[in-house]
Amino acid sequence: MNFQDFNTKVYPLKDKIFRFARRMLEQTEEAEDLVQEVFIRMWKNREKLDDYRSLEALAMITTKNLCLDKLKARKFPVESWNDHCQFIETIAEEARPDYSDLVVGVKNAMNSLPGQSRMIVHLRDIEGYEIDEIAEVMGMQENAIRVALSRARKRIREILINDKSYEFQRN
Amino acid sequence: MSFKEIEQLLARYYEGETTRAEEKLLKEFFARDDVPVNLRPHQPMFRFFTAEATHTLSDEQQDKVLMRRIEQYQREASTVRTHPGKRRLYYFSGIAAGLLILFSLVFAIRNEVSRRHHDELLTSSAEGAYTQTKQALLLVSVGLNTGLDAVQHFKTLDNAMEKIQRINKFYNYQNQFINPEWTQAPSTNK
Repeated sequence: MNFQDFNTKVYPLKDKIFRFARRMLEQTEEAEDLVQEVFIRMWKNREKLDDYRSLEALAMITTKNLCLDKLKARKFPVESWNDHCQFIETIAEEARPDYSDLVVGVKNAMNSLPGQSRMIVHLRDIEGYEIDEIAEVMGMQENAIRVALSRARKRIREILINDKSYEFQRN
Repeated sequence: MSFKEIEQLLARYYEGETTRAEEKLLKEFFARDDVPVNLRPHQPMFRFFTAEATHTLSDEQQDKVLMRRIEQYQREASTVRTHPGKRRLYYFSGIAAGLLILFSLVFAIRNEVSRRHHDELLTSSAEGAYTQTKQALLLVSVGLNTGLDAVQHFKTLDNAMEKIQRINKFYNYQNQFINPEWTQAPSTNK
């Protein structure tokens, strides 16, 4: 794979990588750095890239692994810094026209999910991946993905709609 | 699409059974402003998903930085791969190795010279010759003693052999006693 191929095939994945990283790290700056890291990794691997079935899956797997490393390396003081950044980001997002308070609530609900289900919901509901693609990225069985997806969606519903009035009403 | 159908779709959505196309329908439905009250609690979630998908990295600046980094990396890869710091390390290690060889050579030569000088001293003077001979004799005597030690072992072996001979004799007598004719041959051989 030469530089041109890399630009046309791998580089357009930047936004997906960025969104995925930001979902995991909950921080814009770190996510931006991580995008660079993913690209550098992919570039170093460029000789082998043609052998992969899906470049996108490879990019997402790389992103996932780097994010998990980052999260593991985080220590207590970084957490509070993270909260601070998140606060600023939330303010910035609230200023956006398409963000209501309720939408910010969804974001918080999603961030309260454990890493794995958060990634699965992100890949499905935001990036619109097929279940088998998610299974490839997560390294899990398709059935397990479905179960986790359903559980995570219900969990978000539970957080957003504290009283389960809707549930009773429907049944 | 009726509200009833949307409700059914929503139920299947929470079970993780909807297809991508169906989920797209749900997103489109909740993007509308005239969503009925009973479905409104679900609206923020779908709006959030739609909004998040549009979130991009794409400050022009960010793109440029990325491209520059990749180009830079490419240039690095095409030319020399060594880091300047690494190269300096190579220089220093080369110098260190050279010095080490030089010092060890000087040391070895000086050692050799002093040893020869010492030998000469020993053989040239009569006293030197005497001490050297004495040393040689001493060495021989020590060697002799260790040899004697080894000979002692032979003595014990001899003793043991004698005992075995005795057993052999006893065996012969016994045979003669039991069967004098038959043992004649070995006893004569002996």
